[in-house]
Amino acid sequence: MITTRSVTIARATDIQPGELAAFDVEGVRIAVANANGRYFAIDDTCTHEQCSLAAEGTLEGTVVTCGCHGAQFDVTTGAVLAPPAPAPVKAYPLRVDQGDVVIEV
Amino acid sequence: MSPTFVIIGASLAGGTAAATLRRDGFDGDVILVGEEPHPPYERPPLSKQYLRDEAPFEKALLRPAGFYEDNRIDARFGVAATRVDTAGRTVDLTVGGSIHYDKLLIATGVRNRRLAIPGLELPNIFNLRSVDDADLIRNHIAPGQRVAVIGMGFIGCEVAASLRQKGMEVVCIDPSPTPLFRVLGEEVGQVISAVHHEHGVETLFNDVVTSFEGQGRVERVVTKSGRRIDCDLAVVGVGVEPVVDFAIGSGLEISNGILVDEYCETNVAGIYAAGDVANHYHPVFGTRMRVEHWQNAMQQGAAAARTMLAKRQSYDPVHWFWSDQYDVNLQYAGFHQSSDRVVVRGSLEARDFVAFYLNQGRIDAVVALNRGKDVRRVMPLIKARVAVDPGRLRDEGADLRGILDDSLSGARP
Repeated sequence: MITTRSVTIARATDIQPGELAAFDVEGVRIAVANANGRYFAIDDTCTHEQCSLAAEGTLEGTVVTCGCHGAQFDVTTGAVLAPPAPAPVKAYPLRVDQGDVVIEV
Repeated sequence: MSPTFVIIGASLAGGTAAATLRRDGFDGDVILVGEEPHPPYERPPLSKQYLRDEAPFEKALLRPAGFYEDNRIDARFGVAATRVDTAGRTVDLTVGGSIHYDKLLIATGVRNRRLAIPGLELPNIFNLRSVDDADLIRNHIAPGQRVAVIGMGFIGCEVAASLRQKGMEVVCIDPSPTPLFRVLGEEVGQVISAVHHEHGVETLFNDVVTSFEGQGRVERVVTKSGRRIDCDLAVVGVGVEPVVDFAIGSGLEISNGILVDEYCETNVAGIYAAGDVANHYHPVFGTRMRVEHWQNAMQQGAAAARTMLAKRQSYDPVHWFWSDQYDVNLQYAGFHQSSDRVVVRGSLEARDFVAFYLNQGRIDAVVALNRGKDVRRVMPLIKARVAVDPGRLRDEGADLRGILDDSLSGARP
């Protein structure tokens, strides 16, 4: 059985619309995207050359483009939308609870 | 009878086209012919991770080796086209015989230019295009040995960086005043030059190699200025030329590659071209261009496949590429051959900048070091073809995303 835990990682207002911000969650860098008021959490590390999606990437709608080599991911699922990324990034269930961003890890 | 689509060139463009045909439901025959003995692969790692032995070849494959058979793609690797008969709709092959096509995609790419320099045939003189070329260089990587890199375009720069990282002594020779001079100009070229100097690369600019000398292998290069530079091996990267031999006299229009319109269509009905070999009309810039980069190969290969499936869409992306050298990530977007103004945002000295190439107030292209995010944000500005305020481009406090909205609405700060 797989169990998950809820972890509060930020205030929703810490992440501007159209931006991503990365947080350390038990040793894993997780990026939270604010897609114009809808929040999503994915692994922050691009699967191509391990660049930080939050630090280097750009968010358009729900698509993040890695700033190093242009790989694109769907922040809602973590799926690869454009190469050169060879694999998806992990997506985490997320909810906003009284202004807190809470993810399931 | 189901139609046969033939793709010449098992390149990134050709392989992507084949995969796109199948993904989009094409049920006819697909024949993919390639001169190299390998399935289609990505070339960017060849001068970087693969050359440094940090990544296996399999990682560079466009699709796993079994993909072609699994998808009923008749892949013939190690076979090249020798002639196209546009009236009879056949392609002659090096292995003898010819194949019929209903539609034909040309994705033969480019080959390295060979200069007529005395001594070029000596052992230990390499160039880099294929994985086999990379293997030859890799076999000669030895710390402390000295390599002469001839030409500081992107390949020369990346090879110099990788071999330096492997502990080799590196000396680079280029006829221009800086590396990447033709594409990026002197200001940015000087920055790249400083990066290489800082990593211990020797450079010789404004000079050309007039001969290679040595007994049994290359031992030195001799330059026009009279310099004699000892070396254990040499890597020559002095540009490329489109592979179009098989199409000469076929009726296909050829001028710096195969001429195609914005739909990847040649002047001959049923024949298309994509990737490095395609000199394509770009509707946003209103001119033809031939682009020798990874992203174009992939996207234009897919675009050509869609045209072949009668689902054509104008191919008009803002072209983009990157180059990694040491810890520097360079990115370029757009298209320019000259500019009447270069505006810099950030610091050239700190290697943290975006440089805009302007013509008549519009951004034709942008290059940045370690600022991929900014490049991405400028791409819509390039595509919009609007005049922008250079002061705002220079102003680090001005959000690049806002400039486009203001330009389109006619607002001025």
